[in-house]
Amino acid sequence: MGARHLVVIGNGPAGKEAAAVLRDKEPESRITIISKDHEGQYRPNFLPDYISGRKSLEQLYATPFRFYQDQEIKLRLGQPVAVLDLEERRIILDHKEVIRFDGLVIAVGGRPRIPEPLLVFQDLMYTLKTVQDANSWIDRLASVDSVVIVGGDLTSFAITRALLQLGKRVGFVFSEEAFWPQRCNDQILRAAAAKLAARGVEVVPGRLKRIVRHSETRFEIMTDCRHLEAGLVGAFFGLVPDVRFLAGSGLQIERGILVDEYLNTGFEGVYAAGDCAQVYHPELRDYWVSIGYDNALRLGRIAASNLAGGREETTVPPESLFCDQGVRANTSWWLEF
Amino acid sequence: MPFDRWPRDIVDPQVNREKSQPIFSTDPAEFYYLGLNVPCQRACPAATNIPAYIRALFENHYNRSYEINRLSNILPGVLGRVCSRPCEDKCRHGETELGEPVGICQIKRAAADYKDPGHTYMTRLYAPLGKTVAIIGSGPAGLAAAHDLSSTGFKVVIYEAFNQPGGMLMYGIPEFRLPREILMHEIDGILRLGVDIRYGVKVGQDMALEDLLKDHDAVLVAAGCYASTRLGIPGEGLPGVHTGLDFMIRVTSGEPPKVGKKVLVLGAGFTAFDCARSALRLGAEDVSICLRRTEENLRVTGDEILETKSEGVRLESLLASRRMIGQAHVEGVEFTRTRLGTIGGDGRQQIIAIEGSEFVRPADTVIVAAGQRREPVKFLDDNHVEAETAAGDHAYVTSHPKLYVCGDYATGPSTVIEAIAGGRQAAGRIVEDLTGRKFREPVVRMEEAQVTDRQRVWDFIPRQAMPTVKPVGDRFETPQVEVELGYDAKTAHEEAKRCYLCYLHYEIDIDRCIYCRYCIDVAPRDCIKLVERIETNEMGAIVGYRETSHWQHVNAVVIDNSRCIRCGECLRVCPVNCITVTRIEQVERIRPTGGD
Repeated sequence: MGARHLVVIGNGPAGKEAAAVLRDKEPESRITIISKDHEGQYRPNFLPDYISGRKSLEQLYATPFRFYQDQEIKLRLGQPVAVLDLEERRIILDHKEVIRFDGLVIAVGGRPRIPEPLLVFQDLMYTLKTVQDANSWIDRLASVDSVVIVGGDLTSFAITRALLQLGKRVGFVFSEEAFWPQRCNDQILRAAAAKLAARGVEVVPGRLKRIVRHSETRFEIMTDCRHLEAGLVGAFFGLVPDVRFLAGSGLQIERGILVDEYLNTGFEGVYAAGDCAQVYHPELRDYWVSIGYDNALRLGRIAASNLAGGREETTVPPESLFCDQGVRANTSWWLEF
Repeated sequence: MPFDRWPRDIVDPQVNREKSQPIFSTDPAEFYYLGLNVPCQRACPAATNIPAYIRALFENHYNRSYEINRLSNILPGVLGRVCSRPCEDKCRHGETELGEPVGICQIKRAAADYKDPGHTYMTRLYAPLGKTVAIIGSGPAGLAAAHDLSSTGFKVVIYEAFNQPGGMLMYGIPEFRLPREILMHEIDGILRLGVDIRYGVKVGQDMALEDLLKDHDAVLVAAGCYASTRLGIPGEGLPGVHTGLDFMIRVTSGEPPKVGKKVLVLGAGFTAFDCARSALRLGAEDVSICLRRTEENLRVTGDEILETKSEGVRLESLLASRRMIGQAHVEGVEFTRTRLGTIGGDGRQQIIAIEGSEFVRPADTVIVAAGQRREPVKFLDDNHVEAETAAGDHAYVTSHPKLYVCGDYATGPSTVIEAIAGGRQAAGRIVEDLTGRKFREPVVRMEEAQVTDRQRVWDFIPRQAMPTVKPVGDRFETPQVEVELGYDAKTAHEEAKRCYLCYLHYEIDIDRCIYCRYCIDVAPRDCIKLVERIETNEMGAIVGYRETSHWQHVNAVVIDNSRCIRCGECLRVCPVNCITVTRIEQVERIRPTGGD
């Protein structure tokens, strides 16, 4: 019998970490990472600093290609997965190639979320998830002096800080969609708004109703109580697990892939980790999608370790939780703004 | 001269022969073939000839496309808006690696939208038979039965409890999904056949069922499911808690209940979605649909989910309600989180409450859309109508020889298309029982066809999106305005191009095949097979192939029509013209004298 073939879908922090742990635990196994991205692993949390010029392009990339070579991890970039067939334990890639696996870690991460009511304005708003997105921001910021941010997720506060450093005028449309997927309350909104206002940001509470493009560098943003003008509109509504390709695979999917506390999907040898895994948390009394770079690394490690025969539970550190309508949630990033 | 350049009439002496006449068959093997190879038509409860109407629309024959629909499903304009689309779930274009299913339902709507304004319905009418049938209920099942019975020569009288016809179509579906002029136009097309309808009559209450049985040769109960299912949890009787059906009936009757700012809808069906969207139009600001399972398990169409979310409704998964909270008025709902277990007897994943996960979600209005059941139509002695059996030849029959049941009343809550199919089948049962004859029967029609003008590049056209009123805020300014705008003619035509036309059957004549393998080389998927043996079932229908890769074992080169996407490439490259195309479709054969 040949060596086990362990496959990781996704080359973000969770996926890369999972592959590294698997190599450590199973030196004889064949390990393959499949990623739809064309570029190597980068640190998305550095993208705002890259835009402001405080980080170079080289500093964005977290893992050199040499690492995969040394670890004998086969890296397949730019190859989206079309179908996951759990019965036959095979993956069909977009270009129809079939890859069989003995163990699998799904770590596909998330994609920028645009709330459904705003999908009609999708083409008018900039998001920030990839290096390519960051380069688009840099290009456009060269010709505009004002930006309106709508939403209120982790990245929105970081990009706001970056924009202020660049001397841009920033407006912030703050609504209950902030802190998605948790419901926000007035107390949190007021505290966050006060912090933004103290840094010179024009805070506009309310829902975004409409965006009108007057020219390439002039947009009118209408909320339910104000009209704003800006040269660029950024949408920051969090990330949504990028799991559409798994529909019909048999995996249980809510926002992300539902897994148990060991990150197992319910299928033997199939785990999920990072932004795409959703686990029930007894303290929160809710299903939980972990976010942030460090969490992704940790979950990648746990998933790989359990795939290699371990029995490690995932937990959420209680100090990073806050209480919202009786539900505690880990969305403390704005406090660091 | 190279073989592949020989004139076709030299290679195939039959090329110039006259077009053959169609053949009709009732052989079960032919129906088996259709079930396997024309999956959309098989999935449609009313057996609508989908490839035929899509092709007709492609050829700009909108009236014909509409009529092909109407022959089977009676209400194309309505179904083009509200059908649950079981056909699209089975469309071959939606198979793995082939993309998304064809927008079958949207094309149906386009046929209805673009037919001539003065289009005359074509209905085959029989001479009066001198018999009368009473139908209780004018919902989709009752209307479909009325259509078939009336056109067959029966005098039909419908007894309707409400003041307008349509049943759930009129009172259960909001106007922004189904404009009332479209509904009334198609209902009028049925009533014009001479159907009498009496409004405001609740049989068993305003009129005795016994009297109906005395006055008519048969009575068909198509009274639907109008009793709301309760959750059976504490606090359900609090003011501010509504059942989904009552809520929708009040909305569609023009007497909507007051809704608060925060609305929770408990349920997962079309009614739950209609309630949530209607609540927004009544002024609610924060509306959530609470699901016990997940979005992925919903039976509501993807388009409906997207539009509902676009309007601002939240879908919250994995929640089970435990009790309503409040004193004089509902103030919230206590939930537990759920997880999904193994698949149960109903084919769905079991719902397991997670212990210790209770929490309260505040609400000013709660709508319980947990399903409906029938309200039994009773005899004077308080006995009620019982169906004898739910399937087979005796479906729709009851313990009373003159009494029949159909639609949701017989099956429990179902879809519009299932109700229509049930109504038509019940009508067929009544016709046969009262006359001993069959005036309509499903048959398989086979006719020689030519390769179509479909181009391979059409397989890569993406599914055309249904345009809707946008930005969504505009929908609330006129709450009745129809949200889906329908394809324009050009878009409908583009979407029609995507249909593979699975009713075309491609076949290789083994006697003339020279085993050149050109067809295999050009096939876009594994649809042409080298086989050692063809497997058949007891009916003689092909059920499988034993393939081989050894030339010495090859007994035939066959086209597996269940894999074929009808691109026609094989036929174009065949040097000996040994591939034939036959149009095979299920149609309804009219028997002028009922088979005499």
